[in-house]
Amino acid sequence: MHEFSLVESIVDSLLTMQQDAGWRRIVQVQLRVGVLRQVFPDILSFAFETVTRGTPLEGTKLVVEEVPLAFRCLDCGTTWGDEGGTCPCCGSIQRETLAGMELIIQSLEVEEPPS
Amino acid sequence: MNKIVTIQQSIMAEDEKFADAIRADNGKRGLLMVNLIGSPGCGKTTLLEKTAEARRLSFAVIEGDLATSRDAERLAKHDIPVVQVNTHGGCHLEANVVQKAMEALPLDTLDVLFVENVGNLVCPAEFDLGEDFKVALLSTPEGADKPLKYPYLFTSSEVILLTKADLLPYLNFDMDMFTRDVAHLNPSAKTVHVDSLSGRGLDEWLAILEERVREKKAHAL
Ligand SMILES: Nc1nc2c(ncn2[C@@H]2O[C@H](COP(=O)(O)OP(=O)(O)OP(=O)(O)O)[C@@H](O)[C@H]2O)c(=O)[nH]1
Ligand SMILES: [Mg+2]
Ligand SMILES: [Zn+2]
Ligand SMILES: [Zn+2]
Repeated sequence: MHEFSLVESIVDSLLTMQQDAGWRRIVQVQLRVGVLRQVFPDILSFAFETVTRGTPLEGTKLVVEEVPLAFRCLDCGTTWGDEGGTCPCCGSIQRETLAGMELIIQSLEVEEPPS
Repeated sequence: MNKIVTIQQSIMAEDEKFADAIRADNGKRGLLMVNLIGSPGCGKTTLLEKTAEARRLSFAVIEGDLATSRDAERLAKHDIPVVQVNTHGGCHLEANVVQKAMEALPLDTLDVLFVENVGNLVCPAEFDLGEDFKVALLSTPEGADKPLKYPYLFTSSEVILLTKADLLPYLNFDMDMFTRDVAHLNPSAKTVHVDSLSGRGLDEWLAILEERVREKKAHAL
């Protein structure tokens, strides 16, 4: 149930942003979540609903986009995905993770105050 | 009128501000910070006790514990400066709490600052505390399938310690599976088999720390 810990961080960030920008309401939140994070979108939404009840974020919708794994070899530059492990081209163990670890608030749909 | 605003910011941006500040301070000081993560009872405190007994490094510990101060008392017996942080049921430590705890420690006299995180393989791995690297501890009785079940921890740790290696003869621990899965998740991880009772593997563990301490001090401003 680590989704509850994550939701607390999301809520903190959103409330700070809303206060700073003066939006009337955040209608929808688009998240990018790497597969390695093992986040279950349904549990995340449930946790978000529970934690935001009675706050300015009540009724805000979460949309989760899953990001697959991607690696790049630091020796030969080959990129590869899901299968993980060593470089499929040169066998090097030195790789960087390009994607699959992220927990990102990508964008928001917000309602602005009437001008 | 509704509008779309692009954010592209980490979910943990608020926590990461504290973590970045800790990392910057420790960089100036040349202090290595290591975040120990593993299940309840996997041997984190015992490893720290053995590390103290070896007397090769000067270190302090921030103890994250759900409720008691027993681990802190165990380490204080070895003259290790310890700050106890009770999370009151919280499943992980966060950087703002760690930053406060650090104020009570003699940071300028240390080689290493260890954080013994709350016993848990999920949330502690997700919250950056400003450490130089994470150490994942897995004790042999927990079973060889754990790296694949908790891939984020085992992928994001620089060192993986297989603890309670003395128990291997009594368990059906599938070493081939463990080695294969770790190589798949994290091919450049340094994996050490440790038996804290006899001290086997401790030299390798200490050598990894000593090398990283040297690097850290060499890069201090
Ligand atoms: N056989 C064996 N037992 C060990 C070893 N290391 C630790 N233990 C035992 O495992 C138990 C738990 O060890 P701790 O060091 O308290 O574990 P911990 O990870 O700090 O536990 P928490 O902080 O409560 O999560 C103790 O009874 C230790 O004596 C080891 O290498 N071999
Ligand atoms: Mg302990
Ligand atoms: Zn948790
Ligand atoms: Zn390669």
